Amino acid sequence: MAFDYNKYLRLEKMPTLWCWGCGDGVILKAVIRAIDKMGWKQDDVCVVSGIGCSGRFSSYLDFNTVHTTHGRTVAYATGIKLANPDKHVICVAGDGDALAIGGNHTIHGCRRNIDIHMIVINNFIYGLTNSQTSPTTPRGMWTVSQKAGNIDPTFNACNLADAAGASFVARESVIDPKKLERSLIKGFSHKGFSFMEVLSNCHINLGRKNKMASAMENLDWIDSITMAKMKFDKLTEDEQLNFLPTGVLKEDTEASEYCEMYQEIKDVHQGKRAKITQNDFDKKI
Amino acid sequence: MPLLKAPLNTPVWIDITKCKACDICVSSCPAGVLSMRQDPTSTLGAIIDIIAPESCIGCTDCEMHCPDFAIYVADKKEDGIKFAKLTVEAEERAIAIKNNNFRLPLDYGK
Amino acid sequence: MNTREMISTGNELAAIAAVDAGCHYFAGYPLTPSSEIMHTLSDLLPKTGGVAIQMEDEIASICSVIGASMSGKRAMTATSGPGLSLKAENLGLAQMAEVPLVCIDVMRGGPSTGLPTRVAQGDVSQTKHPSHGDYKSITICAGNLSECYTQTARAFNLADRFMQPVFVLLDETLGHMHGRAVVPTAEQTQKEIKLRKQFDGKPEDYFPYGVAQDQPAILNTMFKGYRFHFTGLHHDKHGFPTEDMDTCRLLIERLFNKVEQHEDELEAYEEYMLDDADIMIVAYGSVSLAVKESIRLLRKENIKVGLFRPITLWPSPAIKIKEYTDKIKKVLCVELNMGQYFHEVQRVSSRLDIDGLFKVNGRAISPYEIIEKVKGL
Repeated sequence: MAFDYNKYLRLEKMPTLWCWGCGDGVILKAVIRAIDKMGWKQDDVCVVSGIGCSGRFSSYLDFNTVHTTHGRTVAYATGIKLANPDKHVICVAGDGDALAIGGNHTIHGCRRNIDIHMIVINNFIYGLTNSQTSPTTPRGMWTVSQKAGNIDPTFNACNLADAAGASFVARESVIDPKKLERSLIKGFSHKGFSFMEVLSNCHINLGRKNKMASAMENLDWIDSITMAKMKFDKLTEDEQLNFLPTGVLKEDTEASEYCEMYQEIKDVHQGKRAKITQNDFDKKI
Repeated sequence: MPLLKAPLNTPVWIDITKCKACDICVSSCPAGVLSMRQDPTSTLGAIIDIIAPESCIGCTDCEMHCPDFAIYVADKKEDGIKFAKLTVEAEERAIAIKNNNFRLPLDYGK
Repeated sequence: MNTREMISTGNELAAIAAVDAGCHYFAGYPLTPSSEIMHTLSDLLPKTGGVAIQMEDEIASICSVIGASMSGKRAMTATSGPGLSLKAENLGLAQMAEVPLVCIDVMRGGPSTGLPTRVAQGDVSQTKHPSHGDYKSITICAGNLSECYTQTARAFNLADRFMQPVFVLLDETLGHMHGRAVVPTAEQTQKEIKLRKQFDGKPEDYFPYGVAQDQPAILNTMFKGYRFHFTGLHHDKHGFPTEDMDTCRLLIERLFNKVEQHEDELEAYEEYMLDDADIMIVAYGSVSLAVKESIRLLRKENIKVGLFRPITLWPSPAIKIKEYTDKIKKVLCVELNMGQYFHEVQRVSSRLDIDGLFKVNGRAISPYEIIEKVKGL
């Protein structure tokens, strides 16, 4: 298809500093293709990234870009979005950034259902700082901070986002970049908090000491733990323990979006409508 | 959608300055079009090589999976580009390459 | 007529000043004794089309304020000691990336949870250096109800001028004190708004951090055709991360120079009855009100006391302070902390005989305590 990415890249910053075969590059390309297909003007887009390998995501893109402190992408993005509600704001964070230090902000971004598109690049490890355990590192794997083997249980990021109130939840991986692009487009088109977990390979940090030192071995492992949602739903509970369903897992187009609700508050204070009461909501608790 | 124009009669081409020799495109090609070759000047000692462009079926797996903007496949609608159909010979070559650490065996086909 | 009389509390006056000064975005978290600023702004800002949001914690508050300011809007937050401690890391990013914002700190008893509903001045050192690394902080302190309004409005202009966070110190007494203030009208405050500099040339000629060594960055409003990168890493003139030795050194030096070489634009202090004073009291905030009363009473007994009240605390009015400490025999610092500005007066004056009256039990200081101390000097 020979997609020309140059329009969307800061060419003077290339090549990327990511390791050879790192899935981050695949995701970068998929995000660019998705934004292009959305028809968004480059000036109308803001990309906010966190700390980590995925944190460098924003510096390669020719949009309004922000590289924040660790774990705070959603908080920065909330300020940018609320101050400019008609612009497109995308957060890119790693698994540690979004789920460990940034867990609270991720939860509240989901809860508010603010129209921000969050991409959590889950490579199951802290990559940039060299192989420390992250909240998604599988138990029993070797990490530098748990050389005897990881005992920390993992949690399911998509379930967390769903429970916290995100109205669009999806999971894809770098195994199928075209499917990733299609899900990204669905997420970008969605009005409300869209949470997308993208599984990526970190063969240099996670893979090296866990018997997947090459990109292909790491990608094969990701392939072996993912399964399309329709197939996944037919498994038994025991079988489901070792798979992560992929695809769009939740899409609620009825949920109220935060910037729109805040406009109602502006209307109340400007005398354009009566005060908001419990009767304005179906879900009263 | 911004597209790159393919060089003359070329279904697949590379930007060699971007290749980091990760082997992923070679691994993903079903038709044995690609192989790594030895390159003493690159960091990992290897670089991508297009060894059989005439076998390219236009699946774009290589372009999709490359993290570094190093390989491109011509658009199916572009004039003058012909993609091949997948042959048994191409498949066998692809398997031989994958089994030889993503390099075409030196004595292949002889 | 460009002033008006208002009967209000310090917190409310600060909030009203923010709206008059063009603040578009507020994010905060409930923290005694600053919460009333959030309550007032949650009514006033949406009226003008702005946004006031209660975030999930102090850190989210400062982050979203920085985000809103990065996008080009005037933004602020309000907090107290514990909140300031939490915000430290991101305040550092605002300093490094040169993002203007106003952070009101209504000081309360500390450290830690301390005395939430009682007064102290314990954050003076902290606002000088809330975050790690090297940078030059700007902190101003309101000394009466009217200044709760005027200093907040001034803070927005200073933030946009110097492109960094500006701390406005109130304290629990001033924040909750209900009384009469004479402040500029809303129109007057709006007339004095001086927004941050913008670059209006071609986007390819725009270098946000490529400015002279004594100037702040020029950060264009987002979404208007000038696309660039914000980061907390050391960066070059484009805003892209770099580790280049010279670029890094010049950046840090510029973060200092942009303030230090223009301190005349920041300096603000009050000299009260200092012309013939034998004793100089240095005090700021609500303490200065008690000091002024004590001076009036002492003067009746012919004891020649005067007050030097810094309004811009950091950078300190060093030259002016030294001018006085070089000639006045006795200098007394009165603070509701263990001498956080006392140390600065000592440093600036090079004198080891500066006296201190420090009260740290969460109660306001009365003129009589000060009179007793002065008489004992």
